[in-house]
Amino acid sequence: MSKTSFHILRVGLAITFLWIGVLILKQPEAWGGYLQPWAAGLLPVPIEQAMLGTAILDIVIGVMLLVGWLTWLAALVAGVHILIVLAVSGITDITVRDIGLLAGAIAILADSWPKKNY
Amino acid sequence: MTTFALIFTLSAIGISETVYLIKMRLAAEEPVCPIGGGCEAVLGSAYSKIFFVPNDILGLLAYIAISVISALLVIEVGAENFLSLALKILVALASLASLFFTYLQWRVVRAWCFWCLMSAFTIWLQGIIILISVAI
Repeated sequence: MSKTSFHILRVGLAITFLWIGVLILKQPEAWGGYLQPWAAGLLPVPIEQAMLGTAILDIVIGVMLLVGWLTWLAALVAGVHILIVLAVSGITDITVRDIGLLAGAIAILADSWPKKNY
Repeated sequence: MTTFALIFTLSAIGISETVYLIKMRLAAEEPVCPIGGGCEAVLGSAYSKIFFVPNDILGLLAYIAISVISALLVIEVGAENFLSLALKILVALASLASLFFTYLQWRVVRAWCFWCLMSAFTIWLQGIIILISVAI
């Protein structure tokens, strides 16, 4: 991936995560509604608290991607996080877009993975 | 909310840009200068600091403040009037500062820095968005 396209993808994904985090903080209970009942039943904490945790995780991922600090780790956590979101909410008209976000996170991860110096 | 979403997005772009400039400065490397080619002349000039504080640091702080305030306005934490006023004042001051720095590039340093112009347009666009939202 060229340096320019990598940074455009990194900043774009960062803004998405930051903005989603802010929106979840605004209405955590509403966002909890996206969880499938079986997944909500597995939560060890109330759904609102779980969503607040998700919001904070999203914001942390967004900040790390935005400033380019441990980008590979942020992309790895982002990818795993999106996989979990797809698993617990199912692929709907809305979450289908997460497939694109997942692809973006994997692309950033592949490009920023720490290389060994032989 | 669209207004704050746009301002938040532009601030995030500003943060990434200023962080890039700070990283380059700390590493003593020249930033990529895609258009104009005058980045080195502008960023290395005597006007790249205000009272010993590099402009990139000031810009980063301004963008962080703007993004946090717009996020707080979206979340509706309260004190909407105060936060809204603070956002407008901050963007207005940053717009004026950007105007001054653009003048310096044009008339004093006589070189154009891509990143400085991008930052200026980012701030001015935020100002335009606020003006439009107030007018509607």
